[in-house]
Amino acid sequence: MGEIVMSEHLIIEKLSVDFNGFKAVTELSLNIAKGELRCLIGPNGAGKTTALDLICGKTKPTSGSIRYCGKELANLEEYVIARAGVGRKFQVPSVFRELTVRENLEVALCRNVGVIANLFHKGREAEAEGLEKLAEFVGLQEEIEKSASYLSHGQTQWLEIALLLAQDSELILLDEPTAGMTAQETQKTADICNRLKGKHTIIVVEHDMGFVREIGDVISVMHQGSLLAEGTATEVSNNPKVREVYLGSIGIDNA
Amino acid sequence: MKQKKIFGLSRRTAIQILVYGGACAALFALPLFVGNDFLLNRYSRYLVLGMVAMALSLSWGHAGILNLGQGLSFGLGSYCMAMALKLRTVPVHTGSDGLPDFMVWNNVEHLPWFWQPFHSMTFTLLAGIFIPVLLAAFIGWFMFKGRVTGVFVAIITLATLVVANLLIIDQQPFTGGFNGITDLAQFKMFGIEFDAYSKSTYYLVAACLTICLFSCLALTKSKAGLILQAIRDEEDRVRFFGYDVAAYKSLAFCVSAAVAGIAGMLYTIVMEFASPTFLGVPLSLSIVIWCAVGGRKSLLGATIGAIVVVGMQGALSESALFLNTWTLIMGAVFVLVVLFLPNGLAGLVEIFQRRIAKKDG
Repeated sequence: MGEIVMSEHLIIEKLSVDFNGFKAVTELSLNIAKGELRCLIGPNGAGKTTALDLICGKTKPTSGSIRYCGKELANLEEYVIARAGVGRKFQVPSVFRELTVRENLEVALCRNVGVIANLFHKGREAEAEGLEKLAEFVGLQEEIEKSASYLSHGQTQWLEIALLLAQDSELILLDEPTAGMTAQETQKTADICNRLKGKHTIIVVEHDMGFVREIGDVISVMHQGSLLAEGTATEVSNNPKVREVYLGSIGIDNA
Repeated sequence: MKQKKIFGLSRRTAIQILVYGGACAALFALPLFVGNDFLLNRYSRYLVLGMVAMALSLSWGHAGILNLGQGLSFGLGSYCMAMALKLRTVPVHTGSDGLPDFMVWNNVEHLPWFWQPFHSMTFTLLAGIFIPVLLAAFIGWFMFKGRVTGVFVAIITLATLVVANLLIIDQQPFTGGFNGITDLAQFKMFGIEFDAYSKSTYYLVAACLTICLFSCLALTKSKAGLILQAIRDEEDRVRFFGYDVAAYKSLAFCVSAAVAGIAGMLYTIVMEFASPTFLGVPLSLSIVIWCAVGGRKSLLGATIGAIVVVGMQGALSESALFLNTWTLIMGAVFVLVVLFLPNGLAGLVEIFQRRIAKKDG
């Protein structure tokens, strides 16, 4: 104790939020290292999505602190937090449906966010190649000139992940990236996550246990707004408290 | 898949520039075929209204800000020009020291301070643009910082318009009240006198429309324009990429106000008066209808929409055949367009393009 932790990256301390008396998150503390892929699981209403909302500024905390790379994020405006390097994928895929895949990526590529700078922005040509590589990374190279409204549900999810990569945020928050996906699509999403591991710090909120086992190093289990357990998939699934509230008696292996 | 490029522009943009250029060239060629000055004046009027519709297309179609008070910027521009031209009328029509006639009737003895700067035409031209812009920036800042969206933006802009309209009517000694500002001098610039019933005014309007159309097109084609369209689609998503959404929306709102202000100044020159009806609710609602008919997502579409609707209105209301049923016909056209062409007349172009693309491959 008392040591300076070299890998200090994202530290959440005693974070609480209160919606008119309903405590969605209470005294949540998490410590996530650089390049780590952390899975956040828990039953419905455990406050997983709210925790992500708090980190990215969509919801303002009642108390507690969120320190990211030494910077306090709590109570900052969303766009300021985004500029600090935090990217968020929403539960319901949120992309620009009236723009093409390429245009979507172009918007997300935001080295310069100023209004005037973007009025006279040059060099969009030079960026084109990078965007095409990103589209390839998530397997959308054939769809790049298509309007995003023509994409399938899975493709929309991947596009949103690609948008976060274009944004080049170091910390990526994924809210149920495999929701509504087929087994094949889930596998592809897991591949994408595994390839990002190490380069980005990722927090994934998921229900799909197979997916969590596939990608997660450390799993944090939330229950009623606070942390219940933390550990590897095996540790968590053998934890009797976790079995009781969430996984049921069969455990993580068969869920 | 690689994009096809023509002079460094995507094919779509290149075609768009050609179409816009062609439309503007047609505007400039029109006086060669129309010798009647009365008709030219009427066409100038249509073009000015087309310009206001284009301004609304920028904020509504491209940034999703439904401004029901577009007439505010338009009217303010119009009054700026009217004040300047009123001060330039022949002294016989005015009171002592060139005091405007309506002020004499209202027992005003000295020219009020806010009328003084309008002796300068440079100031007038700047005021006609920047008064609407500053007001838009002020209202926009409050609305967009406060995350007011959708129908509430429409209500706030409409309410602001009504307030401005009432103020102008109420302050009769300084604004001419219900009568507006009439009996104006002719606008002079670069040694040319712009008679409302002449080719010179028509060309002035056409030139301003062309410049504004291409400037706005450049804006929508810039990265900022792309971000605005993204904001129209998913405002929150854009915010989480680190863009200050309020600043971008304010930009669109202010540029739209500037174009409407310029159109307002031209309207005074063309109509030879300024009236509180320019800031009336009916006009502002009409602008929305023109925009919807022409296609709110296309600058040129909205412009043409205004010209077509106002032109039809003129033709139908003057025809002995239709008498008062013309309003009914206009209503029917509007309903049909909204039902079958959600992207307006400009949407027709896209439908044809898709047909051709299907045949090709």
